[in-house]
Amino acid sequence: MAGKSGRSINNVPEAPIKKMILSWEGILVVLFILINIFCASFSEFYNLSSLLRQMPIYLAEVFLMLPMAYILVLGEIDISVGSIVCLSATMSCIVCNTGAPFIIVVLTGLLVGTLCGLVNGVILTKFQELPPMIVTLATQIIFRGIAEIVLGSGGSISATNTDGFRLLGGKVGSVPYILFLVIILAVVFAVVLGKSTFGRRVYAIGTNRLTAYYSGIHVQKIRLIIYTVMGTMAGLCSLFLISTSYGANTTTGNGFEMDAIAMAVFGGISSTGGKGNLAGGIISAFIIVCLRVGLGQKNVHAQVILLILGVLLIAAVALPNIVGQVKRVVKK
Amino acid sequence: MEKKSVLKKITGSREALLAVILIILFAAITIVSPSFLTPKSLLDMLKNNAVTMVMSLGMLCVMLVGGIDISIMSTLALSGMSIGMLLKYEHITSPVLAFVIALLIGTACGLVVGLVISRADVPPIIATMGFMYIFRAMGYLVSNGGEWASAKALGSFKDFATTKLLGINCVIWVIILCYVVFFFFMKWTRTGRKIYAVGSNANAAEVSGINVKNIKMLVYVIMGFLAGLGGALQVSIYASAMPDMQQGGEMDVIAACVIGGVSMSGGRGTVIGALFGSLILATIAKALPLVGFDALWQNTIKGILILVVVVVNVILQRIADKNALKGREM
Repeated sequence: MAGKSGRSINNVPEAPIKKMILSWEGILVVLFILINIFCASFSEFYNLSSLLRQMPIYLAEVFLMLPMAYILVLGEIDISVGSIVCLSATMSCIVCNTGAPFIIVVLTGLLVGTLCGLVNGVILTKFQELPPMIVTLATQIIFRGIAEIVLGSGGSISATNTDGFRLLGGKVGSVPYILFLVIILAVVFAVVLGKSTFGRRVYAIGTNRLTAYYSGIHVQKIRLIIYTVMGTMAGLCSLFLISTSYGANTTTGNGFEMDAIAMAVFGGISSTGGKGNLAGGIISAFIIVCLRVGLGQKNVHAQVILLILGVLLIAAVALPNIVGQVKRVVKK
Repeated sequence: MEKKSVLKKITGSREALLAVILIILFAAITIVSPSFLTPKSLLDMLKNNAVTMVMSLGMLCVMLVGGIDISIMSTLALSGMSIGMLLKYEHITSPVLAFVIALLIGTACGLVVGLVISRADVPPIIATMGFMYIFRAMGYLVSNGGEWASAKALGSFKDFATTKLLGINCVIWVIILCYVVFFFFMKWTRTGRKIYAVGSNANAAEVSGINVKNIKMLVYVIMGFLAGLGGALQVSIYASAMPDMQQGGEMDVIAACVIGGVSMSGGRGTVIGALFGSLILATIAKALPLVGFDALWQNTIKGILILVVVVVNVILQRIADKNALKGREM
């Protein structure tokens, strides 16, 4: 298992690993520039202003990527977030349609998301033997199921009082609010994960949960906090989603969990835990956003974009492993 | 003392517990709605859940080695859509050939997934998530961007699902055949036992001369093969092929396995368990409208069921462990 964390004692020369992680982000930055050049030559409409205009739809998913990175660093996974987005979007639309003030609507969205995250967290910490994949699979079905029940046979709801959401989807000049919020939150999440005690504890748990426990880290408390924050961010994502579509239906947020995981993993955050950092995740999120906007402008079918994402995702994880294997063989 | 032994029995034989649950379910539903327990209604239920039932066998193998495969329904769509389009444009007409092609495509998909997971060491969830996108998109591309193959286009292929052999539908024979084959395969063949060995302790298996990488690849090939079969069955049963068929259905397959007692961490689970797990899911889906629940409630109840099953499992395990400790103290 040595080297999984990049911090084990056996692995004395720490520099090469650090270099590799650094270079992975280097590759991502280069890729980001290349993608932008590619999109600009591919689509004549691709420029900064069109990018800023079309970005908000995809940016909402970045909110999910930030806490998902923490969960992946823990070595766990949460596949219920798409359903949490669906449920909190549904609830906030309903509250919105009762004519409640917008602040209440926002609070509802965040609260429903937080509660869902708390449910995940409580189940996972009370029964810590359970694999997160199974628990969040069950809650994924349950949360979307509740949204289906609430929405009834029609299966959709549209927000009648859209003033508040219009405000949320507003802009400063040509820069949408959501971009500011994404950047602020990205910085906060990255600093907490990379520089704070809390963040280092998350890495410790992801590297070896038992060792972390014996060295006095409140493993379950930290897990509970992270899953709850995941829910809150899903609620936030749902609010911005409504601000672009002014409604919710039973398929809202479908597959978001996969997109969020893909962004994080593509950014070099290992799903086996303890490895990667948010800088990579954030760059990769913007790569994916730019790619989607650029290809979308040329009417490339959504499925083809997903195909490209799938290939990128597998290549991002497989290539370093293959290179490592080849190197080992060559050394022998 | 007596209580302890009962608990031990229950935790010891998962299958017995599942059988009891299934019988209770059957009895309860029959009391509310007598039309449930008729051969026709039961056979219909089996036929409608054929895809999930067959594919849960593959998922059993994958989960036994500690993996997971969420790309299966995309593989199903790709193979089903391919034969749908081939039949529609009359490149092939023979149903047998269509079946063979579907199986081949499924196996090829499984092989690619298996290679990436076993040789490039990509975590199963990440690799199959990528392939979920890739195969689904390939299904769309095969369908010329969203065309359907309707019942008329499928010709004699769809008759497979309506033909009866010895009074039982062909689809159900396929299910029975699969379960019998897998029962023997997992219990009495070397390869089957190797799958258990790798799942219980990969390092020990490696040391004792099992090629762990090949076994890890094999389970995804099996899964792909069954997904191909599922694709053919799906197209035949519903007499149509569309690129978005069974989207999200992989969760049902995983749920069936989990309810059937297959452990996510590998090494634990049986064919009988998978059978009961998928039967319980199928029964509940069928029974909810019969006992007066709105179909809207189905997903929520399914989710709660999965949660209850896994939580009860943990609690029983904890009690068993505690009792074992107590026994040692005495």
